[in-house]
Amino acid sequence: MAARSPVPTAGDWLGSKGPGYPLVLSSRARLARNLEGLPFPGASDEEELERARGMVLESVSRGVAEERDWEILFAEELRRDELGIMAEEHLTGPSFCEEPAAKAMALGPGKAAGVLVNDEDHVRIRVMMPGAQFMKAWSEADTIDNRLEREVRYSFDHQLGYLTACPSNVGTGLRLSAMMHLPALVVTGDIGKTIAALGQAGMYVRGLYGEGSGVAGNLFQVSNRRTLGRSEEEIVTEMDTVVAQVAGNEKTARKVLTRGPGLDLADRVYRALGILERARKLGFNECLELLSMVRLGVELEVLTLRDFNLLEVGAAVAPYHLGEALGVEAAGEDVDRERAVEVRRWLDL
Amino acid sequence: MNIFCDECKKNIATVFLTKVSATEVSKVQLCEECAKRMEETTEAANLLAFLPHILAGLQGVDEDVVEEVLPGELSVCDICGTSYNDFSKMGYLGCADCYQAFAEPLGMVIAEFQGSEEHRGKVPGNASEGALLRRRLVELERNLARQISQEQYEAAAAVRDQIREIQGRIEGASSNGR
Ligand SMILES: [Zn+2]
Ligand SMILES: [Zn+2]
Repeated sequence: MAARSPVPTAGDWLGSKGPGYPLVLSSRARLARNLEGLPFPGASDEEELERARGMVLESVSRGVAEERDWEILFAEELRRDELGIMAEEHLTGPSFCEEPAAKAMALGPGKAAGVLVNDEDHVRIRVMMPGAQFMKAWSEADTIDNRLEREVRYSFDHQLGYLTACPSNVGTGLRLSAMMHLPALVVTGDIGKTIAALGQAGMYVRGLYGEGSGVAGNLFQVSNRRTLGRSEEEIVTEMDTVVAQVAGNEKTARKVLTRGPGLDLADRVYRALGILERARKLGFNECLELLSMVRLGVELEVLTLRDFNLLEVGAAVAPYHLGEALGVEAAGEDVDRERAVEVRRWLDL
Repeated sequence: MNIFCDECKKNIATVFLTKVSATEVSKVQLCEECAKRMEETTEAANLLAFLPHILAGLQGVDEDVVEEVLPGELSVCDICGTSYNDFSKMGYLGCADCYQAFAEPLGMVIAEFQGSEEHRGKVPGNASEGALLRRRLVELERNLARQISQEQYEAAAAVRDQIREIQGRIEGASSNGR
């Protein structure tokens, strides 16, 4: 895919459509690895962290980045707003921002692939793809892993597999996630059944920004809980199946919505559009809720509107992104005002 | 079906947990906010919330079981100094050797959380032999070009032999599958 600009403001995958769109917006594969002979980052001293960072980054530049341009970012050299922007684009989790010391991120072209250093584990390989592409995301992460592995020795046990700081990741270290937009399941109230079934099937369900964020914009992150006892391919197959089932539930709920008079889809959608068109101040979560409803209206042909990707617009109206446009001094109210302007620009309202 | 958080009864529940205690299996659903409030980080929190009885040292389970497991809990990893008690509070181990040091109690945690105690996935060094050889080949060809440009013909001849040998092995590897 051709980059829109030499340094894209957001990852290309963020605004792209893949298989399963618009119910599945993106896929992520994450591999957790640790270096042999060093304590895990949480129990490491400064020198050990620096050593781990040096080893991983050197392996990235020798093994992974040889043919392509990878950008290397030292977390403690980044400004708070730069860290915030990365988190809003799903490149890092909250811990990367909150305790940047000795952490680093190697970012591949288009920001789709990245290697996070000294977070919970020494190495976290992360690959993002638009739509439901778990096999592709896993195999890309696997390739990066193979290349790193030629340069460093990982902590590995024949019984337990790759050893991780938290035993919830031990074994394959593989966590696959899908970002799903499920507005009809929320409106019909059937989301609870789906979430309960996912929990029983051994899946995690989280909100838009994963750890510690609430649900906003009817966006749900579905991921595998178990990382041990199954091959990576089996985990991929499980994700394919589960995500297809959840998408099936959402489709059923959408049929109920279009037929059921009591839920009055058109009224909900047009109210949301009305606020987006007229509001002069919008909170982030409120904005996502409204965008979600309008998106549902477009997808169910209740209204026609310029096409937009919920994840892409969601990132563009997130606090740090707006703060960047406004300058460092911007306060909450200014950001809310700017959000109302920015969202109308994206939707051409 | 209630979709709201058991804690605040306000937000939609997105963290769905099964709590297993000695007397009952109960299901808890929480919103992210409440789940977060309960623990610092979600990955460790999922583990802690999932296995409170095991991590807390099997309180409420038969006395003999407790006595059997207790030595494991008091144990400290010789390599990094992390104790099993630290782990059961934070959810994080200190180093790879902790897995050995706490093998017994940790085995139960892993078996219950993961539903398995045996790795069946990727093994290091599993990068295909062909790929490793091709990479070596690229390096050698680079050396060869440099040596020729620097008129080091003897060294270049040795490198050329190595290249032939590796090319032969690549053909062998590709005819054997990986
Ligand atoms: Zn709550
Ligand atoms: Zn240890």
